[in-house]
Amino acid sequence: MTIEQPADRTVDRRAFLARAAALAAVTTAGAVALPAIAKATGRHQPDLDTANAFVKPRPEALADPTELTLAEAAWLIREGKLRPEDLLEAYLARIAAFDSTYQAFNLVLTDQARQAARRRPGRGALQGIPLAIKDNYYTEDVRTTANSYLFQDFIPPFDATAVARLKAAGAIVLGKTQMGPLATTRATTPDGVVTTVNAWTPTDPRTDPGGSSTGTATAVAGRMVTAGTGTQTGGSITAPSNAQNLTGLKPTMGRVSLHGIIPLSYTRDHPGTLARDAKDAAIMLTAMAGEDPDDPRTQGLPDVPNLIDAATPVYLRGKLKLRWNTRIGVTPGFATGMSATALARQAYLAKLADIPGATLVEVPLPDEWDLLTGNTFNNVRLPERSEPFMPYLRDNLRGFGVSLTAWLQGALFGGNEFLTGQRAKLLLLERVLEQTFDLCDVVVQTQPVGFDILGLPEIAFPIGFSAAGVPIGTILGGLPYGEDRLLSIAAAYQAVTDWHHRRPADPPAASAGARAAEPARARLTADEVALLTQ
Amino acid sequence: MAPTPPTDAELDVFIRARLASLGIDLDQLPAGTAADPETGAPGRDSVLASLRSFVRGTIGTLAAYQLPAPAGTDPVVARALSQQPAPLLYPSISTHWRQS
Repeated sequence: MTIEQPADRTVDRRAFLARAAALAAVTTAGAVALPAIAKATGRHQPDLDTANAFVKPRPEALADPTELTLAEAAWLIREGKLRPEDLLEAYLARIAAFDSTYQAFNLVLTDQARQAARRRPGRGALQGIPLAIKDNYYTEDVRTTANSYLFQDFIPPFDATAVARLKAAGAIVLGKTQMGPLATTRATTPDGVVTTVNAWTPTDPRTDPGGSSTGTATAVAGRMVTAGTGTQTGGSITAPSNAQNLTGLKPTMGRVSLHGIIPLSYTRDHPGTLARDAKDAAIMLTAMAGEDPDDPRTQGLPDVPNLIDAATPVYLRGKLKLRWNTRIGVTPGFATGMSATALARQAYLAKLADIPGATLVEVPLPDEWDLLTGNTFNNVRLPERSEPFMPYLRDNLRGFGVSLTAWLQGALFGGNEFLTGQRAKLLLLERVLEQTFDLCDVVVQTQPVGFDILGLPEIAFPIGFSAAGVPIGTILGGLPYGEDRLLSIAAAYQAVTDWHHRRPADPPAASAGARAAEPARARLTADEVALLTQ
Repeated sequence: MAPTPPTDAELDVFIRARLASLGIDLDQLPAGTAADPETGAPGRDSVLASLRSFVRGTIGTLAAYQLPAPAGTDPVVARALSQQPAPLLYPSISTHWRQS
């Protein structure tokens, strides 16, 4: 597949805005004929076998296979210079050495992974690549807990569609990762005790590692796996990616099937990926995305574009340029001030502006942005939380642990308030399209909730470090189905910066004395979780 | 005339009754404010206090919100026109089928 125009601008926004009145009729008309869908699993994925999916490794990455990006490892495997078994063993060695400190995994599938790594690699960039799977994705015959007492003995009878697609593409499930209980907060035990640390400050659990896809982020940042999956309901891919120097991609709602993922808020749960750079994120999403007969939200959408080519930098006469001319919207106050974050944002915008094809434009926040994306309207998601959990709420309130309160809040909602919230979503979308995206093609984000409410895509990537050595990241938001444009911008920025190639130092050797000197891992209370929940 | 806001006691009755009507019994939780030592689940009084705040805040604010009528609408018809915006569970997905 070649790329001519990004997918986002093939949607005529004015046309559907003008036809909004037809919506109610279409909605109430109900059933729409759906195309016949090929079964998602076991299919060949030629989009993963294109030249741009393989990247010749940096010389400095050759000494240690855990340093390789996914695309670099794929190049070595394809060339017969790296065996999947050796890549896997390198990761297992780091897990053995460091995961007692990181606590990124709650289950490492050593035997199954070794067995899978012995298979002769086929064609495609994910062949023989070990991945971390967030523990709210079903894994067939492997315990899937969502870090909750409610699922502590749950062994799914099938893989989540996204997992099945990754496996069908040749990836190896190395383990299941720690997460906020039921995907609510940073990773803790179900009773609130912090588990996973930020890989950049492994001896200080007080540093926010980002949640709730914390374990995947720490596993990738700590070089215990190549890439992994996450879910985002309220920033749970972008936040840990920003916190741990990763590139995280939260696609448009429906791009990736939710079938086989334990729900948190079903209109807001976005499966996506946490990876080392834009190319790796593109490879992961290429495998995960597409129609699924088991999830109607994935059907009838625009085709998945060539994400891997989109994430490949473009050069004209040896000089980098953006793949597509793009207006980058900058909202008021985004880079104002002298804080480390503000300075990093200023440098980031300056770097972007220097890339031919990029135009920075000041854009306003839509009317009532703070109200319609604030706590009250964000809470409209809560009945989606309680409704699928009613059997558990009736007989096992204590099983929700510290996460309980939001589920009870959802159960208190009336239909009126819920519908007001759904009507406000369309209002907010139209304002975002009319007042912001009429002026730009992508827009900087300072918090992900608004675009999570709307189901719009976001990409997170690193832009610097604080004086304390903690990563600083940023988020770009795009139009519906605009993952390719977002990837193209992140890839161009990463072609002229090296933040994404920096890795954290290894944790000090675990010893009783060293452990005693570390701050204790705190325990979150139910009240704190109610405030922090995604 | 606006109704008198409910007291804490009235809200507690409402919350318990609403949850009970769904089959949820708060008495599964430990009495008082201390969390369950085994699971970290909140105590009954703590969760009731949190839920009272939620009802007064989120529920009340959402219930009071009126969707705006188009800019420039005559105030005489604004209330009626605010009924027109459609609810959408998946707004981003709709962008494709709304233009196809």
